[in-house]
Amino acid sequence: MFELSTDVGNLKELREGDFSAYDAIYLGDFSCPEYPNNFSSHAELLEAGLQHVHARGQKAYLRLYAVPGNDDLAWVGDVIDTALQLPFDALEVHNLGVLRMLRERGCTAPIHLGVFGNLYTHETAKVLKDFGVTRVYPNPELSLDEVRYIAEHADVEVLVPVHGKIPLVISETCFILEHSEDGAEGACGDGSCSYQCTQDHWLKRGRGDGSRADWSLKDTGRMTLSGKDLCMVEHGGRLADMGLKHFYVHNKGEAPGYAAAVGRIYRDALTRAFAGEAAPDFTPALDALAGLAREGLCNGYYFEGAGQRYIGRS
Amino acid sequence: MVMMMAPGGTLEMAKTVLDEGADAVYVGVVGWSRRGAQDELNDDEIRHTIDYALARGKEVRVVVNTLPSSTELPMFVERVERYAGWGAQGFMISDLGAMRLVKERLPHVNVHTSVGCGITNYEDVRFLRELGADYVVLPYRLSVEEIRQIKGAGKVGIEVFLFKTPSGGKICPGKCNMSSYFSFRRWLDTEGKDHFFGSASRGGDCLRVCQTEWNFNVDDIDYRMPMTIKTNPALWLEELPDYLAAGVDCLKVPGRDRSAVLVRDIVRVYRRAVDAILETDRPDLSVFATELEILRGRWMTERNKRDNRLLRQAIDESARVSAAAAAVTQ
Repeated sequence: MFELSTDVGNLKELREGDFSAYDAIYLGDFSCPEYPNNFSSHAELLEAGLQHVHARGQKAYLRLYAVPGNDDLAWVGDVIDTALQLPFDALEVHNLGVLRMLRERGCTAPIHLGVFGNLYTHETAKVLKDFGVTRVYPNPELSLDEVRYIAEHADVEVLVPVHGKIPLVISETCFILEHSEDGAEGACGDGSCSYQCTQDHWLKRGRGDGSRADWSLKDTGRMTLSGKDLCMVEHGGRLADMGLKHFYVHNKGEAPGYAAAVGRIYRDALTRAFAGEAAPDFTPALDALAGLAREGLCNGYYFEGAGQRYIGRS
Repeated sequence: MVMMMAPGGTLEMAKTVLDEGADAVYVGVVGWSRRGAQDELNDDEIRHTIDYALARGKEVRVVVNTLPSSTELPMFVERVERYAGWGAQGFMISDLGAMRLVKERLPHVNVHTSVGCGITNYEDVRFLRELGADYVVLPYRLSVEEIRQIKGAGKVGIEVFLFKTPSGGKICPGKCNMSSYFSFRRWLDTEGKDHFFGSASRGGDCLRVCQTEWNFNVDDIDYRMPMTIKTNPALWLEELPDYLAAGVDCLKVPGRDRSAVLVRDIVRVYRRAVDAILETDRPDLSVFATELEILRGRWMTERNKRDNRLLRQAIDESARVSAAAAAVTQ
């Protein structure tokens, strides 16, 4: 009927969290190879993660590092070589070079294009299909109508994020470490990471009068996210009517329990929507989701405006 | 022979840089390049630029490097065919699908993959070359060694900007949507082209939200002074011989959104510098040091003015949307 997926960075989070609301798990943090025991950069952990997910009847997708430099390609190749020996249900790429590496290695597993793949048009989706891509994550700037157009005209699965913070920019180095008073001793990537990203880091535009900031962003070190949480819980019926089937909850940078709570709400809302039930009163769901979103909710760019406003069904 | 390409943010600038020694000029099409309309050319101006360049044995590259809507692609192809018919020899493109459409229809034109493609490694370059790229524009921050590795990876023209940022940091352009997250408005012109105000990738302007003052908090505690999020690139010269030795084929003077006078002076200095490098194995670039430092200062001054103007637009648009939303909820 539909697929609901989320992301988990490492084995510890996978074992300690409740991801039972999801049909599929994207394993790994594509933004930061230094993230502790990141599936995306630890080939030796892939099998255990894969087994854990498959044992629960879920699909396991492996995320590959999004922005490798020349010097990263060797270790990314090692991760790929290990992954191709395992029954992953798909590999996710954000980088054209990594996509080419998969083709060169004869990858037969489905390939998903990630959020930083800069997918804006159905013609680009067609190009990528020729390289083995079966699912694309359109750039967050696209409207729902543009997303649907790609799905209909490129004959490709389209991943539609329905909840969580929106990835806005990715970094080659760690913003937190570079701006930390403690970070002066080490440089990002030299093995001295102090994992300060385990604390919440926020960027807030200051106001001259000292009042509350009007713009906010969350920073996870190698990635900057929207301050507000994308929320489409009221729009499940519309998504179903558009023929979209693959939905995703962003979990990166969130506290333990976030994915479980959000997943339960969306599992219920999407199940009802796809069953054709009349829209329920979303107030309890919205209250719960708003309680998890420190800076509030938004619809991203789905309704053709700036990414941080919220529009409900009415 | 390395090609020096310079910006034509206006018709006056386009003609000036050709007169001052640029081998080619690049011009953006209104609504189709990663700049605001004030720094782009309309069709009459583009045709005039092409005629002006061809009459002098020089070339024109047309910048159509937005990431459009799927439904805009027929319009995109029509425009590219029009400019190629007028004599434009190359196009700067970001969208892979658009790139393939152009190569299928116009195999003889040069396709430059835009900096918006966000290249980070030599495998990226191989991918783009196999798709039909004739030149790849590398990001501002690559080292000479990285460029050498990329050049060695395959037969494709290497194009670099003559300004750069330190390595690392947030990847811009190519992997950033911060501007549109805060201030984004879609509007169609009379031809049906969406101008995507606030989206750098889609043809609006980057509204430079990274350059306002940001507080960086940990669990709500400010622990350093307000700062900008991203470092700005600066003009460079000293490493130019090494870049050319590494195999760079095209040097790109930045500045479509700067004054024609500043761009003219930059082209003058770089023309002399490049010629000096090409004429001798041991060029003395110290003679350009004072001029370069003055140009850097002028560049920064104009950039700050531009940033303040764009940031003001971002704040105003964001406030307008917030006020509208508040009115709805009342």
